[in-house]
Amino acid sequence: MSRGSTMHRSSSSDEAHLLGRTVKVRGRVTGDGDLRVEGTIEGDVRVSGELTIGTSGVVTGQTNAQAVVVEGNLQGDVQAVGEIAIRAGARVEGNLSGATVALDEGASFDGRIDTDFELPDDLMSPAGEGGARPSRDARRGGRR
Amino acid sequence: MAGTIIGQGIVIEGEVTSDEAVIVAGTVRGKLTVDGPVTIEASGVVEADIGATSLSNGGSITGNVVVGDRVDLLSGSRLVGDVKSARVTIADGAMFKGNVDMDS
Repeated sequence: MSRGSTMHRSSSSDEAHLLGRTVKVRGRVTGDGDLRVEGTIEGDVRVSGELTIGTSGVVTGQTNAQAVVVEGNLQGDVQAVGEIAIRAGARVEGNLSGATVALDEGASFDGRIDTDFELPDDLMSPAGEGGARPSRDARRGGRR
Repeated sequence: MAGTIIGQGIVIEGEVTSDEAVIVAGTVRGKLTVDGPVTIEASGVVEADIGATSLSNGGSITGNVVVGDRVDLLSGSRLVGDVKSARVTIADGAMFKGNVDMDS
């Protein structure tokens, strides 16, 4: 359930952790909290909060976060505890592994999607079966 | 856009380059090359050589610093390494160990 609260609109959360447009990082980035990438990272990224790759962001490497939002360019595997959202205009090449995956219309994606549910038992009943969640996310995202 | 903020809790191991201002409140290990001003906050830890147009250090730097314009070592900051810059200020309470080269 905490999962649901981690998905912010990209403008909402505190953006104290920011890699700007002209920044290039060659190496590993790790951290507590959220991270917004508008620059280029060649290397693995691991954050405890939400990772947002902005429209000008380019990440080449594996990413690991609570939640991942891609609006830019990502090449590499994504592992999220919670949601992965690929927004319109994004380009993603790699395998996605997360609780839910939302793929917006207009996004380019090449890879595998592996949604990994860790729902509590009371949500595991057939009525609330997992397939509904990603598709609802995708529709919500698609309206933006 | 406000340039780049490497926030508290963020650790970068590797090479960082940028064409605009960089503020470090987290940790950078490797190399930091910026075509603009660099500010190290009190929580910032840099274990890297730094190249920048100016440097304001309120945190901790281990590495050599080559700066075009000026270096300010603020009170409570720490710098171990050599400094090459046209202008250098070291505030009362700043810890500094290394050489200063003000030729330019």
